[in-house]
Amino acid sequence: MSLATGLAAYLTRVRGKPTTVENLARISGGASRETYRFDAVSGSERLGLILRRDPRGSLIDTDRRVEFLAIASFEDKDVAAPRALWLEEAGAELDRPFFIMSRVDGGEAAGPFTPDAYGAHAEAIGQRFFSIMGQIAREPVAGLPLAAAAAHPAPADCWRRELDHWTGVIDADETHPQPIVRAAIRRLRRDPPPPPARVSVVHGDLRSGNFLHDGAGRILAVLDWEMAHLGDPLEDLAWAMDPLWSRPGDPRVSGMVTPGEALDIWRAASGLEIDPEALAWWRLFASVKGQAIWTSAAKAWSDGGMTEPVLAFSGWFTARAQDQILSRRLAELGPL
Amino acid sequence: MSPRLPDLLMGLTISLTAPAPPEAGGDYAAGRVGLVAMLLVLASQEAERGPAARIWENAAIAEVLGDVTPPPESSWSALDARNAELRRALIALHISAEERGDEGLQRRILALYEAMAHARRLELPGGG
Repeated sequence: MSLATGLAAYLTRVRGKPTTVENLARISGGASRETYRFDAVSGSERLGLILRRDPRGSLIDTDRRVEFLAIASFEDKDVAAPRALWLEEAGAELDRPFFIMSRVDGGEAAGPFTPDAYGAHAEAIGQRFFSIMGQIAREPVAGLPLAAAAAHPAPADCWRRELDHWTGVIDADETHPQPIVRAAIRRLRRDPPPPPARVSVVHGDLRSGNFLHDGAGRILAVLDWEMAHLGDPLEDLAWAMDPLWSRPGDPRVSGMVTPGEALDIWRAASGLEIDPEALAWWRLFASVKGQAIWTSAAKAWSDGGMTEPVLAFSGWFTARAQDQILSRRLAELGPL
Repeated sequence: MSPRLPDLLMGLTISLTAPAPPEAGGDYAAGRVGLVAMLLVLASQEAERGPAARIWENAAIAEVLGDVTPPPESSWSALDARNAELRRALIALHISAEERGDEGLQRRILALYEAMAHARRLELPGGG
């Protein structure tokens, strides 16, 4: 059965009315899932939708239920989340697990390595981007759909949980010894951060390239919630501030605003203070997490028959760039 | 470090020749080809600098370790196999230096890490 046929059969069943699928096309982005845009048509009704289906090999081994519930947690909040519509963990008519969400038309996602991706609208985009991040951090966790599926770490355990997880990913997927990231992991373990004032939703991959904007300074949709979890809200801030997302010589965070402006916007939107010591820890951690993801990408590329160039790019170019960032930071920090 | 250049070139060939379902055409296929082209540009850098970077890194780590084993033949696989041995020994030496509080050796190793990462750098065309 073709993907279009299976999708039409599924939608006909769950919607209780004959539904056809038109304009089905795979789109780039979201390397941990196959992503497709399509129209679901029932009589005169036409819905613009996005299908996110588990691939046979994945950049990040994540739980699509967590991603679905993370989107559902924020679909009625002012953070530009899409609407989560259907989740099928057993695969149903599509053979592999998937979920379907609303489609936001009229936007574009900047390539994370595109120089000056937002042009004259960089400041407006940055204002909104770090406001959204702060609003996610501000949202009380209790009662959110995500809270039913995500682990609830104690504030003092947030750092250890994340560091253990990503160290485990490197342990499992590394095919060649990586002394630089191993040194960073030891440093992080030896000098843990102070606990957050409270545990928040962490998007997990909120950065340049993971949102749609209209080309005129408005953010239309925040994407790629597959690494969402509960934890220290500084994790999102530090991830977006990783030098990987800024072009060489551009002092702005993710090509948007200066680091000082980013912190001010986030502080105002979240209502939280930023402990410099904690932020420094999470910034080094962000580079470790990045290297873990790129390590997994290289393995997924190899295990998946070397067919997905995006995995090769992540596991090769991005991994090398992350090593440069990590090694510079370690040299600045000096001996343990 | 991974993927290795020979594997990468093989993989890019597979990417370009593997049949794709109808829904993976259009802009998606064009984006894939663009990414393959970008990877080929990076592959040309690796072909130019990769062997020298490996030979240099292996010698630099061996010097820090005081390892006098003769360098291997200069095939990609032999250089990488030797590099894996040396990197494992370097990690152990670094841990030992941290535990002993040997700040001089730690600084030397941290400087080596920076030089290693720089030697293996890949540069996107256009400075992106």
